[in-house]
Amino acid sequence: MVLAAGTGTDVVRAILQGTPPGAVYALVALGFVLTYKTSGVFNLAFGAQAFVSAAMFFQARVEWGWSTVPALVLAVFVLAPLTGLLMERLIFRHLRTASAVSKLVVAIGLSVALPSLFETLTGFAGVAGRTPEGLVPDGATVFYDPLGVYPFSRDELVALGVAVVGMLGLGALFRFSSIGLAMRAVVESPRMTELAGIDADRVSSVAWMLSSFFAGMAGVLIAPRFNTLMAPDFFHLVVVAVAAAAIGRLVSLPRALIGGLGLGIFIALFRTFLPRWSADHPWLEPFQNNLTPSMPFVVLFGVLVLWPAIRRSPAAADPLSGVDPPPPSLVSATRSAVLTRAARVFGVCFLLLVGLTVWFRGDVVWVHLVTQATIMSLILLSVTVITGLAGQISLCQGTFAAIGALTVFQLADRWDVSVLAAALVGAVIAAVVGALLSIPVLRLGGIWLAIATLAFAFFFDAVMLKFSWVGGGDSALLQGHRVPRPVLGPWDLADDRRFLVLVVVVFALVSVFVIRIREGTTGLILRGLRGSEVAAESVGVSPARARMLAFAISAAIAGLGGGLLAIHQENVNYGNNFTPMAALFWVVLVVTLSARTVEGAAQAGAAFSLFNSVILRGDGIGWITRGHLPGFFPLSPKWRFVLFGLASIQFARHPEGLVEHGKRRATAGMDARLAARRERAEPGAASSTAQQDPPSPDPSKVAAVGKQP
Amino acid sequence: MTPALELLNVEAGYGPFRALFGVTISVPAGGAVALLGANGAGKTTVARVASGLLEPSAGSVLVDGRDLTGERTFRFARAGVAHAPEGRSVFATFTVEENLTLSFQRLLGSDGLDDGLERAYSIFPRLGERRRQVAGTLSGGEQRMLSMARVLVEAPSVLVADELSLGLAPIVTDEIYATLEAIRASGTAMLIVEQHVGHALALCEHVVLLDKGTVAWEGPADEAADVVVSRLFEKSGG
Amino acid sequence: MSVLFEATGIQKAFSGIRALEDVSLKVEAGERVGLIGPNGAGKTTFFNCVLGVLRPDAGQVLLDGEDIGGLPVHRRARRGIGRTFQRIELFSDMSVREHLLLAERVRRGEGSLLRDLFGRGGPNADERRRCDEVLELLGLGDLADEPVEALSLGQGRLVEVGRALMTEPRLLLADEPSSGLDRGETDALATTLRQVQGERGFAILLVEHDVELVASFTERTYVLDFGHVIAEGSTAEVMSDELVRHAYFGDIGNIDSESRS
Repeated sequence: MVLAAGTGTDVVRAILQGTPPGAVYALVALGFVLTYKTSGVFNLAFGAQAFVSAAMFFQARVEWGWSTVPALVLAVFVLAPLTGLLMERLIFRHLRTASAVSKLVVAIGLSVALPSLFETLTGFAGVAGRTPEGLVPDGATVFYDPLGVYPFSRDELVALGVAVVGMLGLGALFRFSSIGLAMRAVVESPRMTELAGIDADRVSSVAWMLSSFFAGMAGVLIAPRFNTLMAPDFFHLVVVAVAAAAIGRLVSLPRALIGGLGLGIFIALFRTFLPRWSADHPWLEPFQNNLTPSMPFVVLFGVLVLWPAIRRSPAAADPLSGVDPPPPSLVSATRSAVLTRAARVFGVCFLLLVGLTVWFRGDVVWVHLVTQATIMSLILLSVTVITGLAGQISLCQGTFAAIGALTVFQLADRWDVSVLAAALVGAVIAAVVGALLSIPVLRLGGIWLAIATLAFAFFFDAVMLKFSWVGGGDSALLQGHRVPRPVLGPWDLADDRRFLVLVVVVFALVSVFVIRIREGTTGLILRGLRGSEVAAESVGVSPARARMLAFAISAAIAGLGGGLLAIHQENVNYGNNFTPMAALFWVVLVVTLSARTVEGAAQAGAAFSLFNSVILRGDGIGWITRGHLPGFFPLSPKWRFVLFGLASIQFARHPEGLVEHGKRRATAGMDARLAARRERAEPGAASSTAQQDPPSPDPSKVAAVGKQP
Repeated sequence: MTPALELLNVEAGYGPFRALFGVTISVPAGGAVALLGANGAGKTTVARVASGLLEPSAGSVLVDGRDLTGERTFRFARAGVAHAPEGRSVFATFTVEENLTLSFQRLLGSDGLDDGLERAYSIFPRLGERRRQVAGTLSGGEQRMLSMARVLVEAPSVLVADELSLGLAPIVTDEIYATLEAIRASGTAMLIVEQHVGHALALCEHVVLLDKGTVAWEGPADEAADVVVSRLFEKSGG
Repeated sequence: MSVLFEATGIQKAFSGIRALEDVSLKVEAGERVGLIGPNGAGKTTFFNCVLGVLRPDAGQVLLDGEDIGGLPVHRRARRGIGRTFQRIELFSDMSVREHLLLAERVRRGEGSLLRDLFGRGGPNADERRRCDEVLELLGLGDLADEPVEALSLGQGRLVEVGRALMTEPRLLLADEPSSGLDRGETDALATTLRQVQGERGFAILLVEHDVELVASFTERTYVLDFGHVIAEGSTAEVMSDELVRHAYFGDIGNIDSESRS
């Protein structure tokens, strides 16, 4: 009995403890659903927006010495809605007809760009080692215990209070005001709302401002719960919001609210009781230590994978959804043979030139950078396979690479296995993990697949990495030189230049493989699936099997690259190389440049490793001007994130990649001339290599062809 | 007199799908036109173009002589085009009263709102009984009434009604058509899209018959019945 | 003739609303069968049950007397059920020929990662010849290397037919092939389809709302309304059936007689 009573108190305590964060989660989830439903944007940049407001608040309070109210007004009441309005007006409104996946990629780009943009503009540097300011003084140290069960900190009470007021306000707005009614109407069906004479675009703008306000508010409220103020912390907030929103199947505002609250309480309950179970069952202990911080990801993953209902399209709720034309396909015209040939010749010459320069003239730093760029290119080839070829957005490529790197470390450190053999083993393990992961997630498809892989990446980051047999344990989160360089026959690859040769050879081999896969049956099937899954199924393609293969190939490439990176850097450096946020940036880079081609991956790898020193630090300009650098150099390395993040906005319009798009345009004229010449040489054998922009369907053609028989 | 609604050489479709090939239809002020045709003939697409839900790829749409081609849907609504789309087109999560409020607020202002609601409930007493009920839980007929009530209270200058009788019990259909008669008497022009012809022919004086996205025949209602039968069945069956 | 395909007692409900109540349908080898019905009659639901996109609540789907009700979509395709789509579904960014090659390679089951890695994953001469045959048959020869984005809707429909043909189907399910086409294009498509069907001898189940096309193309017709088969028989008979007219046009009979009297 005593035990039961004690358990009862604990349950109550956990519920109380979980309520304040739960209320904040609910706030974010509401905002998330609001933007999703009013504009179809799965706004992963929500966390970035929350971070911007939290950082603005901190900056104003601490750096500029403002008092709470003006700082709050600036950060939450002005900056947040303004950001939302700009995002809607300048970006997402123009992407209305784009596919959900394209919008997701744009949102990912923004989530990479926004924090860096804010930091470069305001000079804000992440805060570490201190708790960010809350809304009230001594928020974290003064406690109240109204029920005698759980002492609420001041911050928690404020968070709870604000969240409750926010939700009540939203409820009142929705129930009693005309704009609220209009917003709910747009959530259900923008078309029908317009039929009632209401401008749905304007309502959608208001919804963006409102939801961004919520994001900003949540950011300021949640900041004191972390003891740092960094962008990645706030990305967690999005994940929680997505989980809560997923519970509401992304369509129901009340359910999203309940989902958020429930998630907060569930996490608190888990934290209370898991330690006890693990006291009785020691095997649970590592999970207890590791699982707690990552509950949101586990819940999200579980919800996505185990709850088939959310996969059903919520668009069916709009009775007029049939009016919308099908979204334009994710692809444009095929690449011409001329461009492919020219790019290959140019690419090889360019690489030879760079290689020779680096070999003979480059100093240690340059050899190091070029090696890094080549390895990154190799890793990014995995994105070429999964995104460019199979058309899936996977956000856990960093995890696959980490698996390769950690395998090399473990095998070399524990059993003295040759690192090159270990890298191959790492690729195999990554492939197996990728294939296994694909089983639950590949039924999802589209945005849900992306989100599930993101949840997996965070899960690995928070849980798996902490196991000593994965991440090397506390002692070794991989400082110092733990991974040796290999010796290959007569060559000791401790020499950086020789190692570079090895890396280039591996990259070239894998590139050839990727091209052959693309041109072979596997590529044909994957491209078919990318083009139309139902059509591919109708001729007998098993989507599950093909996607599993794509995932496995992609994971193997990433794993191999990760292993090489560990060998190159002589340790794993998980935090610098492989975090989920880093992997997010990889995807942004590749889709911005070109996800379809091998050289796209190479350019992305070069951009990742060299952009900073060549462009931003001014080395490139300096080399040309022989040391006369304009005064504004060096630029902040953050511009890399800003530029590529913002450039990925173009993904919706040019899914083949910006650089690729430019190249295709540049060679279009040459193509046309060549085609004309061929036409003259062998009349009648008109082929269509120069299909730049496909002509719109010509009605007369149909009749002509159809009537031939 | 300027027609209340005119579609001139309209071509329209969904992405690569072309549903209308140069359709011209004119609804005179105060007149009623029935749009008949088989499944897939393009009737619903005509209705959508007429109310601005779908932008035609060629041709133009005139409301009261004003060219609204390419304008956003809400501009059509503000110009006096009311559209009762096919199917269960109500805001399912709203209560009956909220559904009506959304439509009336802009037209009647907050002062006229209560008055408008009362009028809606007097036309459809069943809705008054269920004013607090969530619309998604209403029966098919009640949802249809609700979507009609939304467009009927403040007699619009043009009413576009799509497949009113679809899936409804005959007695409910009768009821709805009786209401339409009353609205018509008050001067509203109508474009009635129907698959079931009986009611439509009784209500409208002019008939347009669509076939594969083109106007196959048009003429007065009393000649229409024979034509419909011969066009759509006997020719193909024979 | 032997019964090729048979669906018996198919039932399907969505959250309480019955879309199909006891629908049975038979197609004999090489036969052209129509399935018509007004909006919301359950045509699409039935179609999806046959293809394996939906699982019926009750009833059997038999191909050659064998129950295929438990198979996923792609396995049914390999057993010989081909299809075309109402909302055209082509592989964007692929040429016309590649559409057919993909289907051909899947049919042969010769794809393997290892072969691809050694550069032997491409199609061989025999496969190319088979593709070209079908392309010629459909009159698509000149368009073989065009990306499908450059095609008109009618040509796209033919590509879908060609792609389905490569799987050597015994039953082709054509889902409203005339939608989005005007009368002339529809007639042209029907002519081609009839010719190809005559040459290859597969059976067609044509789901259509273009009554004229069904009347001219099919030998037998089933009519669905409110989830029931309300009429079946030779197409000419069905077309003059009073019940069918009523399902399509409501009380036209009464109006008709009134206006004549």
